[in-house]
Amino acid sequence: MAVAETLDARQRVAWRTPILVLAALAGAALLARALSGAGIGAARTFLLVFGSLLVEALPFILLGAAVSALIEVFVPASVFARLARLPRGLQMPVAGLGGFAFPVCECGSVPVARRLLLKGLHPSAAVTFMLAAPILNPVVLLATAIAYRGRDVMWPMLIGRAGLGLVVAMAVGWVVGSKTRAELLRPDRGLQVHEHEHGDAQEGRWARYFGQLADDFTMLTRYLVVGAAVAAALQTFLPQDVIGRVATTPVLDVLALMVLAAALSLCSESDAFVAASFVQFGMASQLAFLVAGPMIDAKLVALYGGTFGRGFVRTVVIVVFSVTLAGALWIQVAFG
Amino acid sequence: MTDRRAVSSLRVATAAALAAWAGLFWFLLISGRTSLYLSSRTAWVVPTGAIVLTMAAAGRLATLRAVRRERLTPRTSWALGFIVFPAVVVLTLPPTALGSYAAARRSLSAGFAGPALDTGDRVTLAAVAAGVWSEEARRALIDRAGSPVTFEGIVTRREGSPADEFVLTRFIVSCCVADALSVQVRVVGAPPGRFEEDQWVRVSGTFYPVGREVVVAAGSVRAIPQPDDPYLNV
Repeated sequence: MAVAETLDARQRVAWRTPILVLAALAGAALLARALSGAGIGAARTFLLVFGSLLVEALPFILLGAAVSALIEVFVPASVFARLARLPRGLQMPVAGLGGFAFPVCECGSVPVARRLLLKGLHPSAAVTFMLAAPILNPVVLLATAIAYRGRDVMWPMLIGRAGLGLVVAMAVGWVVGSKTRAELLRPDRGLQVHEHEHGDAQEGRWARYFGQLADDFTMLTRYLVVGAAVAAALQTFLPQDVIGRVATTPVLDVLALMVLAAALSLCSESDAFVAASFVQFGMASQLAFLVAGPMIDAKLVALYGGTFGRGFVRTVVIVVFSVTLAGALWIQVAFG
Repeated sequence: MTDRRAVSSLRVATAAALAAWAGLFWFLLISGRTSLYLSSRTAWVVPTGAIVLTMAAAGRLATLRAVRRERLTPRTSWALGFIVFPAVVVLTLPPTALGSYAAARRSLSAGFAGPALDTGDRVTLAAVAAGVWSEEARRALIDRAGSPVTFEGIVTRREGSPADEFVLTRFIVSCCVADALSVQVRVVGAPPGRFEEDQWVRVSGTFYPVGREVVVAAGSVRAIPQPDDPYLNV
């Protein structure tokens, strides 16, 4: 009798939180509708931009998680062992061009890179892949060519984006090269999947596949929601004409567009059209926008924070900003 | 031999979260609300997302039984609720597009260079947008000064402007609403006090480029419902 009562009480406790969560969701939905319907322009703009960023990015997150789970469950470890045996100097450029085989955007490349890292790829190579794949892939390069079609700077922009993107990604890979996998990944989340995969050995392949996919999806979406909210808030409350004032100041204009790219958090598949619209800014600034944007932005910083250990975001920001600034200015002098 | 594996509440909750997002994508597709968030160029993301999310939810539903006991902890419940929250919000939003609040913050004055902005045979708002940043497009507009035009957009107002004037605003979207830029024309000779801010209108009249601005002398101004494609897509 007492046992039955304890079980009953435990079940009640187990269901209490999901019911509270559903009630909170209903409340939030009513509030959002009331705010948007009440003609509050800022609320409407924020919710539309927030929603659009998520609708555009979420399928890519899921596709990235699907590719990542495929690698985990169906690609034999021997493939990665062979890749991992390549000299480090060769692993990095091969990984940098990996986007042509796995055309993932920046949200999708994070789970794929983490999986490659767990599969034994050198940290330098995994990080190089993560940063280069969103730029060095056919979809993004085609979008860039279309955005700059008919302009003198089309080829310098296209080659500059691909070349500088690879150089910056390899520079970050080289800087983090001295770290081990355990040092690089966040101990609580980044390595967690690796731990429980041993316990799941009795599960079927498809159960493991969907388990991995769901794990990656729920973790990355949490950070994407935070990033999209930050980006939408910046877009809603920061007047665009403020940006125009810095466009004519050398070096500051390049830095400004890199910071703007980080704030806007656009997908690399779509950012070339926005970059091409900043006609007041020079070629170096636009190039920096296109190289640094897919490597650092509000949503990515959140995704990196959920995957990698402390200090990683700082390293990426410093290396990406400094190498991109130097490279973009050099390309402008050489080809602009 | 009986299957001793139990249905995992964690997997049920995860499948529900995936299904909620899949539901949103199907809703956007069926209701035609994709155009409120994405341009026609990136609209393919919605059917793709709907199919992939449905497959992921179905896959999780098909593998609900776990070998080990898996518990849905309160922490995981809140985390799943957090990722479902935006889907629920977008589902419940009224179908309205960007309005006058965004118009002031998303000025086209920084320039625009979409791939398909030419002046064409007819003077369109896209041609007006091209004229803001391109000297060639502006000259083409000047050549057509005095031509009849019909523009659709929302009413926005500038402080201190006469009662018979307003600014007609339309947003240009390249990929998603996050990159929306406003193209604006000044409408003069409109019926005073008839149109409120954010009202969708169709203005027919004669257009004149004045410096970097385009002025339309209104022949008729009619209120219209929000179009199916509220943004200009390039």
